[in-house]
Amino acid sequence: MPRFSPLRSGQSPLQRLQRGLLRLVHPLFGPLTAPLLDRDGPARLPELQRLREHFQTLNQDRPLTEYEFTVLDTELTGFSPRRDEIVSVGAVRIRNLRIDPNQTFFTLVRPRMDLPRLSTLVHHITPGEVVRAPRLEEILPDLVEFCGTSLLVGHHVGLDMSFLNRALRREYGAGFNTPCLDTMQLARAYEQRLWEGFYDQFNMKVSYHLPDLAEAFGLPAFTAHHALADALQTAYLFLYLVRKLFAMGQAGPRRTPSLRDLHRAAKPRRFV
Amino acid sequence: MAALPGEQPSVIIDFLQSTLPFSLLDQAALRRLAAHCTVDFHPAGSRVLVRDQTRPRELFVVQKGGVKLTLRNSEDQETLLDYRGEGGCIGELALLQNRPAPMDATTVEDTFFLVLPGDEFLNLIKTQPLVAEFFLRDFSETFLPRAFAEMRERHAALSCDSGLYLFSTRLAAMCARAPVCTCFGESIQMGAWKMSKHRVGSLLVREPSGRVAGIVTDKDLRKAVALGMDYAAPIETIMSTPVVTMDEGEVCFDALLQMMTRQIHHLAVTRDDEVTGVVTSHDIMVLQGKSPMAVFRDIQAQERLEGLHPISERIPQVLRTLVEEGARAGHITRMITVINDLILEKLLTLLLKEIGPPPVPFCWLLLGSEGRREQTVATDQDNALVYRDPGDPILQRAADIYLTAFAERAIQELVRCGFPSCPGEIMASNPKWRQPLTVWRNYFERWIMVPNPQEVLNATIFFDFRPAFGELELASALREHVARHAPRQDVFLRHLAADCLQTRPPLSFFKNFVVEKTGEHKNRLNIKQRGLVPFVDFARVLALRHGLAETNTLGRLRRLKEDGHLPEELAKEAGEAFEFLLQLRLVHQLGQVEDGRKPDNHVAPTELSELERQTLKEAFSVIGRLHGHLRDVFRLELG
Repeated sequence: MPRFSPLRSGQSPLQRLQRGLLRLVHPLFGPLTAPLLDRDGPARLPELQRLREHFQTLNQDRPLTEYEFTVLDTELTGFSPRRDEIVSVGAVRIRNLRIDPNQTFFTLVRPRMDLPRLSTLVHHITPGEVVRAPRLEEILPDLVEFCGTSLLVGHHVGLDMSFLNRALRREYGAGFNTPCLDTMQLARAYEQRLWEGFYDQFNMKVSYHLPDLAEAFGLPAFTAHHALADALQTAYLFLYLVRKLFAMGQAGPRRTPSLRDLHRAAKPRRFV
Repeated sequence: MAALPGEQPSVIIDFLQSTLPFSLLDQAALRRLAAHCTVDFHPAGSRVLVRDQTRPRELFVVQKGGVKLTLRNSEDQETLLDYRGEGGCIGELALLQNRPAPMDATTVEDTFFLVLPGDEFLNLIKTQPLVAEFFLRDFSETFLPRAFAEMRERHAALSCDSGLYLFSTRLAAMCARAPVCTCFGESIQMGAWKMSKHRVGSLLVREPSGRVAGIVTDKDLRKAVALGMDYAAPIETIMSTPVVTMDEGEVCFDALLQMMTRQIHHLAVTRDDEVTGVVTSHDIMVLQGKSPMAVFRDIQAQERLEGLHPISERIPQVLRTLVEEGARAGHITRMITVINDLILEKLLTLLLKEIGPPPVPFCWLLLGSEGRREQTVATDQDNALVYRDPGDPILQRAADIYLTAFAERAIQELVRCGFPSCPGEIMASNPKWRQPLTVWRNYFERWIMVPNPQEVLNATIFFDFRPAFGELELASALREHVARHAPRQDVFLRHLAADCLQTRPPLSFFKNFVVEKTGEHKNRLNIKQRGLVPFVDFARVLALRHGLAETNTLGRLRRLKEDGHLPEELAKEAGEAFEFLLQLRLVHQLGQVEDGRKPDNHVAPTELSELERQTLKEAFSVIGRLHGHLRDVFRLELG
């Protein structure tokens, strides 16, 4: 199989190049560039098309408490979006900057390929468990419906999104254009602020793995590598980081930060 | 809205299940409740509730982190009211009373909350009586007695069906008939006739005004016969005065204690200051099988030192009886103190008889827990000796020789009686702690005026001294000296106060007890070091600051409250918490003694019931409040 297939999912080479370029500048302008990066045509799934239209414009200046977030996590057979597949999806809702543990989404997914032994060792999902699980195509409409017009949050969310969008494009000709927030990036920005002003600025020992961050920040711990537990863990991390990023260096009540504020705070400092 | 229902994460249910009072709910109710919970986060230092402003619509349960509840006065000074650790609730008062928050709530750590809508909470209160009881409780009024009762039940396995109520029977119930009386001027013979006619062992003697002036007992008659007194002599010549009286509302236990302390056998019982009857130690003993009185009589009856040796072995049995009958730790430690004091007194009296009178008057001092009257089964000796300044070198030498021999004998005998010697050599046999009054004064002055931190801390037990035997004036002179100087020495007091703050209970205490991580006492809690000492230290430093002579911790707290140096609420809580901890330790040690082990202070939280654990947590949380008070009083802003 050639490395670049020009005839995939109805995209022209120009579109692909554009997307590649924009993906390069993505870290500079943050996750909110997602709608701009979107060059997909109309989606064949009404629900998906509705939310794609919704995100053509987004008012970023409302306080964070007025947005809904869906925290997502997927378990995979490996890290290559080209070769590997999703085996489990978990999601939990944040509304009013509070986790709602009763609004969750969780499912196992039956991949087309055999489950690699290595991945089973990571997430403890065995081939036997996924035999009766639905295919990814079957659960995509439900997932799209669950996410709705909420913003997406994930730990290294780019990876999850590339897997999901690949499947969505294959099925419906378009992926999520929902703006995504990456807790890993937020954590990095938070750590940088913590170390600002210290001589030893670049603490190489910081691990950005989800369980390590949870332990370092003293969050309630969940089982790692279970899609729903990881989504919950990420939700706790997200709440923690959002509040801490804006609590630093000031006391007393202040106005709730807006989405734009969060975006600004999460930018890598070198480029500010 | 999700077509695929997500599974309900078990975290919430798991958490609620391990948290009082939600753990009292059944599975179905728990699930319903969990379906309404959301999770919120507040970084350290956020004000969650503002007094009189926030009207909480939700109940916050701390999932991880900690919150302090404070009051702020007009000068913007904060008073710490309470801590809420993991599992603690915030906003319940305001919700229950439907009014704005009664105090400020501020996170002291990064805190995750489980948020429960107010309606759900109120609904829970309405439908679940156990939950209602938990929230509507007053720490002291429902839960503490229940915890005591539970502890008693658990430890009363060997209980004989005594059905005796030493601690609940009032004196009124003990005197069924009116006292037999006689008047001044009646003959001895007439009195004896009256006594045998009514078959009583005692006769009250009234003045012409009707007031009871004295009492005549069999013993007095015996004496009269022995002395060959004229039977026609007026009875008042042989009566004992004054008559010790007690109100009929008092319980038998107190009467017993009173008799033992005064070394008498008869008490006049009064109602509105009118004598209504006489109670004898025998009456109470009939009520009482294995009685402390029996021990007391045994001590009294000893004429030889050897006879005293086995007596202390019987104390645990006596204590067991008391615990089963519902005595609180405050009662029991007082009882131990009385018995130990009696043994000591008898021992020293016999010793004096043996080696002759001292060249100078002296006073035997008790220090530390003995000085505070808070002994338990395992009490090391902590004592010292003060004597009057001899004034001239010859007398000084005589005193030296005599008291050295006396103290060494006394310590040996005490060891034989079952009081182990002090590993730190703080005993009267050590020449350093056997000194004339002037030297003792200098000791205390040095500790107070030129405080060297380490030295002061080692000396704290001396500040709890109490006279036990001999010339009591010497001890009171010393106490007066301390009381005069200590309150003015701010540096000294601040040293002590700062030391109190060292043993702060960490916040994570509330969910998980801080237990020993390794060693012999792994997973156990040193209840003395972590629990009792902070209360003792607290009461001591305030007592010294206000020049109180009292040494008992509960007594000190009471005095401090009465004199207005301590808020009433805080004093009450501290007293109850302290007594609960004492009780826990006592029961623990009693169990060990009965199993033939050496008693220690290491309690395993896992062996306690949930209620005991909860109460223990509450008791520990009082320590934080005491520290807040100390910080305010001494302006120690040590974070």
